[in-house]
Amino acid sequence: MSAISIQSVSKRFPNGFEALKGVDTEIRSGSFTVVLGPSGAGKSTLLRLMNGLETPTTGSVRIDGEAVDGLKVRHIRSRVAMVFQQFNLVDRLSVVTNVLTGRLAHRSWVGSVFYLFRQEDLGIAREALSRVGLTDKAWNRADKLSGGQQQRVGIARALAQRPKVILADEPVASLDPVASEEIMALLREICDRDGITVVVNLHQVELARRFADRIIGMNSGKIVFDGSPEQMTQPVLRTIYQREGIEDDNSLDMALAYA
Amino acid sequence: MTTALIWRWPTPNGLPPLPLVGGVLALLAGLWLTAPIVEVDFVRLIGSLGRMVTFAGQMFVTPDWEYVPQLLAKMLETIEMTVLGTAVAIVVSLPLGILAAGNATPHPVVYRVTRDLLSLMRALPELVWALVFVSAVGLGPLPGVMALAFVTVGFMGKFFAESIEVVDHKAVEGVRAHGAGWLQVRLFAMLPQALPDFVGTVMYILDHNLRAAAILGLVGAGGIGYDLVMSMRLFQYDRLLLIALSIYLVVTVLDRASDRLRSRIIHGRRT
Repeated sequence: MSAISIQSVSKRFPNGFEALKGVDTEIRSGSFTVVLGPSGAGKSTLLRLMNGLETPTTGSVRIDGEAVDGLKVRHIRSRVAMVFQQFNLVDRLSVVTNVLTGRLAHRSWVGSVFYLFRQEDLGIAREALSRVGLTDKAWNRADKLSGGQQQRVGIARALAQRPKVILADEPVASLDPVASEEIMALLREICDRDGITVVVNLHQVELARRFADRIIGMNSGKIVFDGSPEQMTQPVLRTIYQREGIEDDNSLDMALAYA
Repeated sequence: MTTALIWRWPTPNGLPPLPLVGGVLALLAGLWLTAPIVEVDFVRLIGSLGRMVTFAGQMFVTPDWEYVPQLLAKMLETIEMTVLGTAVAIVVSLPLGILAAGNATPHPVVYRVTRDLLSLMRALPELVWALVFVSAVGLGPLPGVMALAFVTVGFMGKFFAESIEVVDHKAVEGVRAHGAGWLQVRLFAMLPQALPDFVGTVMYILDHNLRAAAILGLVGAGGIGYDLVMSMRLFQYDRLLLIALSIYLVVTVLDRASDRLRSRIIHGRRT
């Protein structure tokens, strides 16, 4: 069964830039998919469409058979969590409160007016924090944590939501190699143990090879490769990362030499 | 060998930008030509120096200690008016601030209407609104508090709105992406980020309101103002000195407190 279904989706921004040019794909429930591609290929836009942060110009995006559109977007988001490159935490709030914001979709605004949460929500938040190994930082302010720790808070927030799908937009782009490894392993473990569908945008080819079940390669708003890590050979990588109008691309050769 | 030192502005041709130079020159010329409207006259200014010194000299008198109990009572009333007026204004300004912030407002029309309402409220100074409220509810501190709260909402609502407009959009998106509702996004992503600015605004406005409350007595709206004006009129400099010093003292204490509070909110609790 496919958790996410994307049908002939294109996206043109008001400034005229066409980020996606007819993308079709299905993402199987419980799988770990990595999207690779150069900057500007449309990876982020694709992910943001799945969460309703952007709306497609044409085509449709469905999560578990339900279309992501205006009215139902909050309902969809309650099942689709998002992890960001810049973490997107509220710096000034405590770690626990940030994780608790993952519960807001399931609660009405009435308690929120007084910043009140249910006891069970606090239990869920604590459990999520222990999953990412940050129980002892629970009452620290979010901006007092290191980058890797902040990203783990971001993942805990996603987990607190009890989602079906976690979308991660370049979750390790601002992290050092060790923290990157930890974050990827955490996402993989969440996928394996909880059966949550994970879609990750990455710039690291090597991480993609090691962690993904399936790799989607994008270039200039189109899918140019779709297969297992084993199928992603050097020629395939060249297609994914090739730049328009440049024949003998030295930088491309160098970049892919050790990938 | 020395090379000649050549100065240039960081522009393509090394010259200052023409619009900037023109603008500043036009402004200066405008001020020069229009100054006579307010009777700025240097001869008169210099001629009056002697009288200014005499007046300042009269402030060096023995304070009228007998007056202290009444001063304390009146200062307390002034502070209470200030704090109460500001507190009421905070409660009203918060929701208005959200409606008047470009990134938080539910609709552009609501934004426009709220902005216009806020500018109407602050169009006239406290003293004028106090006159209106004195005729409405009678003499005493009550119309003073009403006038303070009214004008403060006009300012604070605008300041709150502007601090909400500059919050980091990434955190807002982070909360929104997890399915938070309209109000929840504002409460959990926008307000916490705007909080240090809010505190700064509130502290500044407390400072301003204390000084505004100190003259509301002039129109019978309570506080130290009546005594202030009377001692000036009756040349009671021994009282005037005490009044001025006590206002200065309260404003300074407030200023120190606001620095502490603000730095604590920006940097979090020191551990």
